[in-house]
This record gives sequence, C-alpha cells and structure tokens, in this order.
Amino acid sequence: MTSLTRRAFLKSSVAASAAATVGLPVSKAVLAQAKTAEAGWAWDKAVCRFCGTGCGIQVATAGGKIVATKGDPAAPVNRGLNCIKGYFNGKILYGADRLTQPLMRMKDGKFDKKGPFVPVSWQAAFDEMERQFRKAYAEKGPAGVAIIGSGQYTIQEGYVAAKLMKAGFRSNNIDPNARHCMASAVAAFLQVFGIDEPANVYDDIELADSVVLWGANMAEAHPILWSRITDRRLAAKSTKVVNITTYRNMSSDLADLEIVIAPSGDLAVQNYLARELLARNAVNWDFVKKHCIFATGPTDIGYGMRPTSKFAYDAEKDIQAKELENTLDEAEAIGQRRKAGEKVAQKSRASAGAHWQITLEEFKRGLEPYTLDYAAKVAKGDPDEPMEAFKAKLVALADLYADMKRNTMSFWTMGFNQHQRGVWVNEQNYMIHLLLGKHGTPGNGAFSLTGQPSACGTAREVGTFAHRLPADMVVNNPKHREITEKGWKLPPKTLNPKPGSDIMGILRDLEDGGVKFLWVQVTNPFQSSPNANHWLKAAREMDNFIVVADCYPTLSGKVADLVLPAAMIYEKWGAYGNAERRTQMWRQQVEAPGEAKTDVWMMLEFAKRFRLADVWGEKPLPGLKDPAFPEGRLPDVLAAAKAMGYSPEQNLYEVLFATPENRKVAWPDPVAKGHGNATVKALGESWFVEKALFEEYAQFGRGHHHDLAPFDLYFRDDVRGLRWPVVDGKETKYRFVEGQDPYVKAGEGFNFYGGAFKAIPTGTLDGVTDPKPVPLPGKAKIFFRPYAAPVEQPDKDYDLWLCTGRILEHWHTGSMTRRVPELNRAAPSAVLYMHPKDAEKRGLKRNDTAWIESRRGKIRMVVDTKGRNQMPRGSVFAAFFDESLLVNKLVLDAVDPISRETDFKKCAVRVTKA
Amino acid sequence: MNLSGILVVVPPARLDAAITDLSTLPGVEVHHVDPATGRLIVVQEADGVEAEMAGLVAIKARPHVRLAEMVYHYFAPEGEES
Repeated sequence: MTSLTRRAFLKSSVAASAAATVGLPVSKAVLAQAKTAEAGWAWDKAVCRFCGTGCGIQVATAGGKIVATKGDPAAPVNRGLNCIKGYFNGKILYGADRLTQPLMRMKDGKFDKKGPFVPVSWQAAFDEMERQFRKAYAEKGPAGVAIIGSGQYTIQEGYVAAKLMKAGFRSNNIDPNARHCMASAVAAFLQVFGIDEPANVYDDIELADSVVLWGANMAEAHPILWSRITDRRLAAKSTKVVNITTYRNMSSDLADLEIVIAPSGDLAVQNYLARELLARNAVNWDFVKKHCIFATGPTDIGYGMRPTSKFAYDAEKDIQAKELENTLDEAEAIGQRRKAGEKVAQKSRASAGAHWQITLEEFKRGLEPYTLDYAAKVAKGDPDEPMEAFKAKLVALADLYADMKRNTMSFWTMGFNQHQRGVWVNEQNYMIHLLLGKHGTPGNGAFSLTGQPSACGTAREVGTFAHRLPADMVVNNPKHREITEKGWKLPPKTLNPKPGSDIMGILRDLEDGGVKFLWVQVTNPFQSSPNANHWLKAAREMDNFIVVADCYPTLSGKVADLVLPAAMIYEKWGAYGNAERRTQMWRQQVEAPGEAKTDVWMMLEFAKRFRLADVWGEKPLPGLKDPAFPEGRLPDVLAAAKAMGYSPEQNLYEVLFATPENRKVAWPDPVAKGHGNATVKALGESWFVEKALFEEYAQFGRGHHHDLAPFDLYFRDDVRGLRWPVVDGKETKYRFVEGQDPYVKAGEGFNFYGGAFKAIPTGTLDGVTDPKPVPLPGKAKIFFRPYAAPVEQPDKDYDLWLCTGRILEHWHTGSMTRRVPELNRAAPSAVLYMHPKDAEKRGLKRNDTAWIESRRGKIRMVVDTKGRNQMPRGSVFAAFFDESLLVNKLVLDAVDPISRETDFKKCAVRVTKA
Repeated sequence: MNLSGILVVVPPARLDAAITDLSTLPGVEVHHVDPATGRLIVVQEADGVEAEMAGLVAIKARPHVRLAEMVYHYFAPEGEES
C-alpha cells in the first residue's frame, strides 16, 4: 500500500471507529475496514489521567507501545467523548525528556547540595536518601520529615504513602496538592453532613432545569461535563444556565444569565439568596424541620498566614500583620453587625472550625443585613455595569432558586474552594439547597466538582492529608486511631495524634528549618504553591534534602537534590476515584522506559531500609499535648510490638506491606489477563501488591458508609467504575436518601448519617452560651456564615485584582500537558488577560509585554485584551501552567483558616509597561 | 502523522453550511454525517499534539459549532512514517 492510500485508509478507519464510538450510524463494511486497520492492536479499558471528571477511555497497544486512545462508549461519564486533554493520554508517555534514571546533585563523586545533577543508580539514590532521612529523623523526629503527594496518586500509591508515613515513621507530615484544590470542600462536607464527598451524581445534569455555576468555568475546566450541560440546555428549552464569575469566560457563551461579581462577593450573594428564600417563604419547612439544624461559628479566625513577620519581605509586612489584628471595612462591618473601623483581634485562629447550634431566629438575624442593596453593593464586579442592571440579575437568580418547580443544580470548584473563606462559601451553598430541600435528589443538589483525577478517591478517601486516616477518620480522634491501629496491626499509641503540617505548612517548615527531608510524589509543589519565591529559596539554600519523584523534569525537580524517575499512568496498575464517588481501575498496559519505576515500588524499597527499632522507639514530638501521651513525645511501642509477635529487627516492608495476609494475594492473577506488573517484577515478589493493598484499604470503609467493591469486580468487562458505597455488588447513586442509599432505613426519608462534628454546643451569633455538646444524629447543618473582606485588596500601590486559574489546553502545572515536544517548541506562554481600558491607562496594548508586580514578586507577561477571558476593569487573570512565568511568585499565601486551602483567586498587583 | 476523530455537533438546519465550512480547515475532512441530529465525524490530520489541539480549538470556534470534542486519537510512533 502506498503511503497515500495507507493514509486515506487510516483516516476512514479513524472516522469509522469514532462514529461507532459515539453511536453514529456506519455501515458494516466501513466497520470491517476499521477492524482491519486495527489488526494486531489490543484494546483495554482505562481512565483518563487528567482531571476529576473521571472519563473512561480505551487504550490500544501494539508492539509494547500505546498507539491509540479513544473515548469509551460504555463509560457513563463521557459516553465516548474525550476533551482536548485526551490528546495527551497516550502520547504523554513518549515525550523526549522522560526521566529514565535517578539524578542526584553531586560533586567529586559524592552528594553535594551545590553540585549539578548526575545520573546515579537506584542503589546510590536510595543510599543517600536513607542517609539524609536518618539525619533529619534523628535531629527533628517525625516532624522533621515530610511527603507532599497529590490527587494524582493512585489509590494504592496514596495508601502506601500514608501507611508508611503514619504507621511506619509516625509522622503526620504528609499532605497532598489536593489541599490547594479541595480542602475547603472537604471541611464543608464534614461540618455540614459529618462525612466527605458529594451526595449527587453527574446523571443530575440531564435532570436539571437550572444549572448554576459558582466560580467554575466548566467550559474550560470540565469540558465533558460541560458538553452534557450544553446538550441539556439545547434539548430542554426551559433549562437555564447561570454563570457567576469574576470575569466573562467561555462558560458565559452558553449562559442565560451571567453575573460578574467582585472577589468574595459570593459570600454576600448567597446570604441575600437565603434571606430571599425566607422572605418569599420558599423554604421547604418540612424537610428543614425533620432533617436540619442551624449553626454558626467564630469570625475572628485570621487568614492562615504566618503569625510572625520574621520571614516576610518588607513589602509583605502590612498584609501579614492582619493575621493577628484586622480593621473592619464598611462592607464587612455591616455583614457582621459591627462598626466600620473596628479593630478585631483574630482570637479564634486556632479554633477556626469550631461551631455551635443556633436558633432559626438567630439564623434570620444573621441574614438580616443581606438586603438586595447591600449584596449588590458588595458583590457587583464590573464597574461599568449599572447598579440597577446588576440588582436585576440578583433578583433573577433568586427567582430561579426560589422556584419550587425547577430542579436546581449548583456546581463549583476552585472559585469557592480557593477562597480565604472557602469553607464558609461552600457551606452557604448547602445552606441554600437545604433550605429548599433540594439536595441529593434527582436533578437537585449542591455539587462540588474536583480538579485532580483522584483528589476524591485517593487524597480524601485514603486520607493522604496531615490530619486524616482512611475512610474519613482523623489522627486526633482516639477512637479512630484505635480502629486504624487494629486494622494495621500496630501496637497501641504507634500513631501520632498531632495533625502534621499541611502543604503550606511543610513549605514554611522548609523555610524555617523545621522540615529537613521532603519527598515529593506525583506533584509539582514548587510551581503550584503561592508566594513561590520563599519556597524556591528555602529548597536551595536551607540545610535540607528534597527528593522529587516524577516522569518529567519539573520546576520542583529542578530545585530538588535527588530526582527519581517514575512510571506513568498506564505503565502501572492503578485506581482513581472521581467527583461522583466512582472508583475506576486499570491494568498496566506498557512498560516504563529505562530505569523508571512505580512510586509504589520506590516506597516499598525505601521501607525495607528501616527496622522497627529505628522508628517505633520513643520519639520527640515538640508541641504534642494529648492526655493519653507523654508531653512532647511519642512513646516507645517496641515492647508492645514484641508482645504482638514482631521483632525489632523486622523492616517496615515486612511489617506494613508484605504481611502474611497480603502475601496470600498471589501474582500472577487471572484478572491481569496476561498484562504485566512493574511493581511486582521490580520487587522480585510473587504477591499482587496493588490488589492486596487495595483490599486491605477497603476494609476500613466496608460497613462504614464507604464500601468499595472487591478489586476484581472493577475489572469485569461490563463495569465502568462503581459509585460507592457499593453494597452487595450494587452501587449507590444518591447518598442519604431512602430507597437509594443502603445506609438509610425505610421510613427515614433522609438520613445525614455522617458521624463527624455531630455533637456541638449551643449559642447565639455572638458565641457559645452552653458548651455542653448536644448530639444531632442524622441531621445536616444549615450554617450562617457572614461576608468577610479579602485580606489583601487593591490599593494605591497595587491597584488591580489578580485571579489565577486554568485554561482549556493545560492542566496541572503543565508538567504533563506541556511536555510533548512539539508543544514545548511553540506553545504560547501564559498571557495576562486585562481590560482594554486598564491596558490603555498603562500605555499597553494587546501583545505588549508588561511587568506584573505584587508585594511578593515580579514577573513579565504578554498582555491580552480580547481573548477568551474578558476582564472587568480593575481585574487581571493569569494561568499558572507556565514554568518560565511563575505566576505563583505573585500570589498571596493566605489560606482558609479552617481548611488550610490556599486562595489563588485574589491578591493585589500593579501592572506596568516592560 | 497524528489522526483524530472528532465529534462535531451543529444545528441540523446548518448542516450543509457547516460541512462546507469545516472542510476548508487545514487537515480536516468530514467523514460521517447524521442529518437528523446534526452530528458529524471529522478527521483531523496534524503533525503533532500542539497542532491537533490548535485545530480542535479552531473547530470549536467555527460558526454554528455547538460542540466539538475528540473521540479517537491515533498517533504514529516518533520518527515512524505511516
């Protein structure tokens, strides 16, 4: 066949396969031709590796390589479609700069922090890692070592990392990049429902009459879900789409109502809506009285910055000082029933998440200031929009929510989560849906979407956070520690009861010398974290050792001391859990290049180097105050371990992972259908590591509202993931609802059975009046949360808002999507979107280069005044994917004080012509 | 050479105009059409992922296009001429 006819043949085959995948009629002859073109290929089901949507794909391999990918027509999430990121699923494995051997900074044949990277053997890499780990551990104890992971961890990777750190090294310093992305959603789930993860499912899109986006540009960030919303909007004419945003974006194109709000204006708008629902008597009182209570919490909670100015640049000190005392502006004072100009000491910084029950009357009193006039004044985001027009939009929004006949879905991601009051603003959305009685039922619900592919399935549910244990348990709950110690066969008091450092905490610990050993896995924190100049300097100039395991050279790799080459997605076995509780698994399809190895193998090999005697003796833990523990120390548990049959000479691999039970799970296994297993092969073992560890992990959730199915079931040909709880092989669509959720009994209607924070004191809007905890079994909480002003706002020196986020073609920090060689050659650098008048005022026009400067740093970017994002005057937007234009040098590292999640969406900058 | 099969959805009344318009885009061929639903399968040929993404963004931006998403992606191994 000539190359021309071969090309034509391939094209018609691709067309035929694509048509068949999405159900377009094609003739048998055409399909037969497609089959011929694919002769010799092996197709297998897998999951897209890019975002939290969780699209099912099919992967074709031939000759040991992936040659094609396609949307999985049987996948209910995406029904055969991929989004633009799908172009990378296969190709991303074959970038020219894949890391294929360990690289260590060396001079004269030895590790040297100031040396250049030199290829070394795995043996040499582990030897130095072990030496450095032991040094940090001996000097600082469990608090001196840390892991930063992510929502890109497979379930098994996250489980190994959490168990190694928490049970082995007795350190809670493990935190995922998901902290930057989902933590506010999590804290709100726990405070409102007592249990993490959404009640609704994607199927609700096709049942919704009103779809309201709150700070979620789904057209760019969740294109496949957006395609379903588009279909719904076009198929059912009465469907309305509302885009609530701080700037006009691609999602506005479909929207019936676009509401441009000011940063943090969402807090005021949602209280206005709740006030309206009450005023219009659009409340489902039967539901509220049976299933809900009202609650509130303190407002003087700070902004999650350091309480000291010791590490602040001079320019940062004015904002940093607000961490301890803030002066109320007029909007904040009205929203909190106080006086403008009042100085408020931030006394509840350490108890930001405390909350108590209030009466309906108090709840109403809290909402009283949130009139249309007030909400509109606080929230109007476009200075060029007339006030009356903006008010009309808020009324139209209230009309949609208050219409009891309309099914209503609210969606959000980073606009809510990356917010100095992210937990509050999440809780306000549940407030609205619970008042309406429209939550967790077909077509109705407040739905928190996710960013990363297994932010839910791994980071949250496995518990790779500094305070969490598997299945929603937490380290500072003695009962949870006991359950986990039993499950993991650990002596009592092995687990550390003191929450570790969250991701910003770990970076700050590097800067102040608290953490001296850091292992970064499947993430790029030195690019993805705010106020980057501090942490880049800390990595290179402080006495510490930073290990980065990755597939490609990232910015984090560049500032590391040791870089470990990691196997990628389809080069290993794995499992992800998406935003609708759907757990999906895949088989290893191909082998990793060169010396690249799975993260699971790296951790298991490292575990082999530590004996129980090294880690389970008495360990210092400065600041530990717990009645069950000696002050500032974790006790020696070696004697108890001996009594359990362990020898102090056993290593952590044997004790935590290659247990007698796990060794019974044999490899090879028929479920593999002949596929390989890189972890097992590199270990030289005959137990199925990923299956054994998944089953071990799943024990924690089964029977406790988090039931995962047996490992093999996920690989059955007709299964495309299952939404937990999976009880008796049956998945659950709607949680908390009778007839849907196996944990809700007949006659209950709804049961918000989550157990966290289910006994709280009683009080008023101003504080606790009776500290005695009152149990609230089965209830959800409707929170009153006031408006709070952003801690840094534009002023005369830094006169523009900066918002950062994603764009369609790039995901993560670009470490995946920026890697494919042709992309690197000509990909446009991140641009600064700004209003043409703001540009003109500064002598700038489209495509000019400008300096963008904040209190924390300065970078140059190219100005765009009429691209896909159209900014109101006074605001600029930049995407964060570009490593050469490190936008995070500008961003403030304030975090939500309850969730510790960073606010990437609002800080102040100035822009000048470069 | 990379090939991708893309689903494009247009209003059925605009089908002919859309077919003509899409066919003018470089590397794009319209292969299958479902007149009742306005769904089309186009095949895009491009040198690499960047060009494929730019092409898909361009398709999304064409008049009448309500939806355009990739369905099937075939890519030749590096340096191998198909």
